[in-house]
Amino acid sequence: MKKTRTRALPVLLMTLAFFVGIGYFVFNLSIHAAEWASMPMNDHLSDNSGLEHAGTITDRNGVVLAYSENGKRKYHDDYTMRCACMPVVGDDSVNNSTAIQTAYRSDLSGYSFIFGLGQPDMLKTGKNIKLTIDGNVQKAAYQALGQFKGAAVLYNYKTGECLCLASTPTYDPMNKPQDIETNDAYEGAYINRALSAAYPPGSTFKLVTSAAALRYIDNVENREYDCTGSDMIGGKPVICYEINGHVDLKEALKTSCNSYFAHLAVDIGKQKMTEQAKKMGFNRTWKLDSIETGESTYDVSKATTHELAWSGVGQYKVMETPIHMAMISAAIANGGTPMMPMLVKNVSGDFGVPAPDRQSAAAEQMMRKDIADKLSEMMDYCVDNNYGNWSFSQEVNVCAKTGTAEVSDSGEDAHGWVTGFVTDEDCPFAFAVIVEHGNSGYRAAVPVAAAMLNEAVKAVRHS
Amino acid sequence: MEDIAQVVSFLLRVAEPLMALLIVVLCFVSLKGGRREEHALIVLDNDQEKISYPVRYWENSIGRSKSSDIVINDPSVSRDHAVLLRRNDGWFITDTGSKAGVLVNGRETAGRCSVAVGDIITLGNTRLVLRRSIAPAMKSRAKKEDKRVPAPVMLGLITVYMAMLLLQAVINMDGNTFAVIPAAGFIVVMFVFYAISYNAFKRRDFELESLALLLSGTGVMLAATHNTDTRQAYVQLAAVVLGMIIYSFMIWFIEIPDRVMKWHLIISIGAIVLLGSTLVLGTVQHGAKNWIVLGPISVQPSEFAKIAYIFVGASTLDVLQTKKSLTEFIIVSAISVGLLVLMSDFGTAVIFFVTFLIIAFMRSGDIKTVILAITAAGLGVIIMLSVKPYIADRFAAWGHVWEYADSTGYQQVNSLIYSASGGLFGLGLSKGCLQYLFASENDLVFCMMCEEIGLIIAVLTAVVIGGWMLYARGVTTRSRSTFYSIAACSAAGLLVFQSALNIFGVTDILPLTGVTLPFVSYGGSSMAASWGLLAFIKAADERTYVHRHIKNKKTKVVSEEAEFVEV
Repeated sequence: MKKTRTRALPVLLMTLAFFVGIGYFVFNLSIHAAEWASMPMNDHLSDNSGLEHAGTITDRNGVVLAYSENGKRKYHDDYTMRCACMPVVGDDSVNNSTAIQTAYRSDLSGYSFIFGLGQPDMLKTGKNIKLTIDGNVQKAAYQALGQFKGAAVLYNYKTGECLCLASTPTYDPMNKPQDIETNDAYEGAYINRALSAAYPPGSTFKLVTSAAALRYIDNVENREYDCTGSDMIGGKPVICYEINGHVDLKEALKTSCNSYFAHLAVDIGKQKMTEQAKKMGFNRTWKLDSIETGESTYDVSKATTHELAWSGVGQYKVMETPIHMAMISAAIANGGTPMMPMLVKNVSGDFGVPAPDRQSAAAEQMMRKDIADKLSEMMDYCVDNNYGNWSFSQEVNVCAKTGTAEVSDSGEDAHGWVTGFVTDEDCPFAFAVIVEHGNSGYRAAVPVAAAMLNEAVKAVRHS
Repeated sequence: MEDIAQVVSFLLRVAEPLMALLIVVLCFVSLKGGRREEHALIVLDNDQEKISYPVRYWENSIGRSKSSDIVINDPSVSRDHAVLLRRNDGWFITDTGSKAGVLVNGRETAGRCSVAVGDIITLGNTRLVLRRSIAPAMKSRAKKEDKRVPAPVMLGLITVYMAMLLLQAVINMDGNTFAVIPAAGFIVVMFVFYAISYNAFKRRDFELESLALLLSGTGVMLAATHNTDTRQAYVQLAAVVLGMIIYSFMIWFIEIPDRVMKWHLIISIGAIVLLGSTLVLGTVQHGAKNWIVLGPISVQPSEFAKIAYIFVGASTLDVLQTKKSLTEFIIVSAISVGLLVLMSDFGTAVIFFVTFLIIAFMRSGDIKTVILAITAAGLGVIIMLSVKPYIADRFAAWGHVWEYADSTGYQQVNSLIYSASGGLFGLGLSKGCLQYLFASENDLVFCMMCEEIGLIIAVLTAVVIGGWMLYARGVTTRSRSTFYSIAACSAAGLLVFQSALNIFGVTDILPLTGVTLPFVSYGGSSMAASWGLLAFIKAADERTYVHRHIKNKKTKVVSEEAEFVEV
């Protein structure tokens, strides 16, 4: 019978493997539990449930944006502030997957691995979340966007803290419109465009083309070109908005000469353009804490020469998210490497015990420092000699690039873009603004950027 | 008022896992404590060489081979020479194809030959005298007895555990008392079962049963609070009763190995007919044709076929420890697995296959057979997938369920989400969301436990099932025959493997195959068959049959039967 015992060894090993498997499940659960529990599919936490006793959400200055009282979720008193912050904070539902009240619902609702969601209500204490968002900046951007749909991002390129992630259209979370699903005015109100929407970047993409050119083409700064308003590239014309005349790289960026950058893109070639775009964050998503952004895309694998030329000025199939565009400006401002944007400053511990502030980390390098500095200088030149620094601010020095992106062939007005940053030491802000169908980056997006920027500067210098 | 109810429910949820833990620990400690120590039952003395061989087991292989239970270093002794057996009516020796043969008191033997104290057994040039051993019996036994927990104590604890679940259920269901009858019914059934086992079957050890009752009780309470169907609790309770009947019958039936042998062929055919008839008469439910519907009752015959299959696989007697042809068993296995595949019941097919591997290896020790079988099965899978490639789609979500969250990964993703929501103590019976999902009461029941009664009880369930296997292996050498050892290990192995498929399938560690979790999943056939399988484990422990022996005993040679007498 000894033999039988020996021969039972494989079954014993199987049983040990079974125990290991159970251990693995428990281990996996202990690591991912909070993440799994906060999935939007979790009916314990969706459809208005899970927030009845949830913790408080405040902005960076401690202004309460959302809180629970007597089993009900409540928001800021001011209607405008509620609307402005809704895309970041979210409403009672879990429709907006990037909103704090969706992504952090398990934390807010007092989830813990030990008790799950199972504490009785009277013992329930949700965690409190403090955002890096500044409610006033958010509100200023929201008001400046007005009736337009669009998004505005502003973040500190030294610390990564997002002060503004505005998105329109939005609505009042205390009084959700009945016709939100049907009314075109609320189209896409459930997404935060700043994080999730990708648009053709238009001329703002010339920053990427410039970075590629500075990296791959020797002495490209002195490359000169005579713009006649259009040029045949790949058998078809690439058109500029005006006749830009004799330009070099710096001048071409200032006047936003399409032909110049179209030629550059073709000269750099598909492979290197793609490589540079990838290095600068295209074809991937980012994670702001646990919130995943949309994906910016640059894919010229099937492009003709003509299409490659258009991709160099941010048309063809190029798409970019506002947050990503702000990161590119942040990289230029910060010597080539952006800080990862963040929007949660801290999440309190169990039972509301305060927790230390979170710190952001640097993302991967997007470009060499000398290229970043060169681009910075070019963007500064752009502002000083084209838009005028006064269009942005009376107080701080701004470097920027606008863009006007054609939208398909539908004949609709083009999207207006602007992205840039402040060089002043005490206001290290990078920003990006998109105004859908705003027709012009300069006329539609710059005023929004200015309003947002001035509110942020005011918070630093006048409070 | 509502707040107080909530807090009470919460405290109960925290207390239940502790109670369950206490029961599980007590049962296993008691199982271990009650085990006989392995000292000699009798001895074989070689008076020429002055060597005394202790005979420790009920079945002892004798030979030159190092793996024999009694190793005799004599070139004239074959590697596997003979088997010395203990049966209720004394000791026997059987030649297992030795060259020199076996002589008892100088006379040649053929087949099984009775031996008694003082008899001389000759194996080649070795002469052995069978003598009583000087057992250190009574003293050590008294000490061990302390560790054992009386059955009524364990049943009392289970009653408290059930009462806590019931109270919690009533609170959680806002005073709805539906669960009272199933819970009370279960407690009554439990004590009746114990009373019958104690009085009619003279059974004193009740640890295995207590563990099974803990799991079954949890299953009944889950069924009683499962929202979709109030009938479930009664079905589950009835299945527990049926399970207990099958369990008791099985233990009685397999007590006498000769009876087992007599019925061997009929049961083989029965298993195949059972599966074959399902294929012909069965109803397709959820992609697998494994149900037979008889009026209001639907039965899953493959569950009962598992019991028959282990029975068939393990039942070859005396010559078991020598290499014996597996042909008959291989044929039965191939047909069974084939029929299950035809029914598209892949989960059960894999369970049968793994059980085959366990039994085949335990019987023959032949690694070649195992490798051959695995290769054949591998080829079978490849052929099947090339003929019916859509089968693979059923398992496409495995390993990345989150990407298939809306389609084939839906059940797994929800299971993980809701397991995480439950924490260690759960959200409370009937408070879960997973119960509204398709097949939550059987395929997803592990995660439903996590969600409603917490991770601790769910993990304890797995520990109990795995623990049975450890116990089954622990008693292999204390069985009355290798038949019992092999049957116990393969039944326990089957339960473990099936649990692994169930638990890991739904938690995305293995592909989701849709098999039940023994004793806990809703389903009459599954519950009843689980009890049937447990009978094999119970039968492996020699103590199971002790009291009956005492009654029947017409002592020939039993050196220290006192060891087993329990007053």
